[in-house]
Amino acid sequence: MFIYFILFGCFATFAQNNTEQVVDSLIQNKYGLRVGIDLYNPIQALFDDKRKGLELIGDYRITRKIYLAAELGYLENKTEEDFFSFTTNGSFLKAGINYNAYKNWLDMENEIYVGIRYGFSTFSQTLHSFTINNDAILDNQQAIKDGQKFENLTAQWAEFIIGIKAEVFNNLYLGFSFSGKKLISSKEPDNFKNLFVPGFNRVFLNDAGFGFNYTVSYLIPLYKKKK
Amino acid sequence: MKQKKRYILIILIIGIFFLSCERDDICIEPTTPHLIVRIYDKDNPNELKRINQLSVKIVDSILNFSSTDSIVLPVRVDLDETKYEFIINFEKEDESIDIISLTYIGEDIFVGRSCGYKTIFNNTSFTLNSKHWIDRIEPIEQQIENENQAHVKLFF
Repeated sequence: MFIYFILFGCFATFAQNNTEQVVDSLIQNKYGLRVGIDLYNPIQALFDDKRKGLELIGDYRITRKIYLAAELGYLENKTEEDFFSFTTNGSFLKAGINYNAYKNWLDMENEIYVGIRYGFSTFSQTLHSFTINNDAILDNQQAIKDGQKFENLTAQWAEFIIGIKAEVFNNLYLGFSFSGKKLISSKEPDNFKNLFVPGFNRVFLNDAGFGFNYTVSYLIPLYKKKK
Repeated sequence: MKQKKRYILIILIIGIFFLSCERDDICIEPTTPHLIVRIYDKDNPNELKRINQLSVKIVDSILNFSSTDSIVLPVRVDLDETKYEFIINFEKEDESIDIISLTYIGEDIFVGRSCGYKTIFNNTSFTLNSKHWIDRIEPIEQQIENENQAHVKLFF
């Protein structure tokens, strides 16, 4: 009796695999150029007047699971710390590859992906006037120093991304991603530090950082290929 | 298939490594250094000597020290000079005041996100303006850069 159950189970899964294979071979996936924008910055800018910018995203499918991806944008951000504040102003470009680890059913085109990026930014830092950190006993004798603008700064970094893209209407996708970043090299200002870099966001002590964005994008279909 | 899944798992773990950002929102590095004065016996110049009751007035604040041979004083960063009133037996009948002035050239140095900027003091010069209870002073260093050692000796 028991043996019959096992045999039946094996036959059932075998039959199912066969059906899947048959259906899959009839399905065609869309290949094309997908372009979109990041929604995180514009929405943040509504609530927070310290940050404004725009990021365009794009990706291009080269195989069933692999996409070439890039992001391009500019950002102006004011950071306020205890003893000083500064404004970062610049643009960035990130390029890399996404790998879709999700197995889509039928002809759905959703993604759960992991990706890597190389990022580059050029920017300026404007240090606003600041006070020297001294003993609290002399709080009435604080020194207010002039700030200065540091120009032509650059930074390069690597990113690791996990994200989701879902097709919500025909060729229209909503996406969300989370990234961990690490600075590779940067041109630092004299007697100051790049504590914020456009495209990288806040730079932590060990030159690491993170970010997330939500995006909307549209696929311009170019051709179709068997799944 | 299993190999692929393992591959993805490895990438995910590496990703988590990336996300261990080191927080930098507490100031733990040293900031603007204080002036450190060590008190010696004028008759035995190599011997430290304790003062029972010493008060030091800087601008509007008074710092009190009791039974010590080593005192730590803040330095002004808004000017290139700080005047200290060294008072013994404060508000008593035998109160005695001597003024020491310290001049320097300040240099601003960036420390970090939470600490901001500190000032170190270069080309320091000490002047004893009167000799009521202090015999003499002797600078040890030409700059005040940190609090690792004393910067001036006071003999009484």
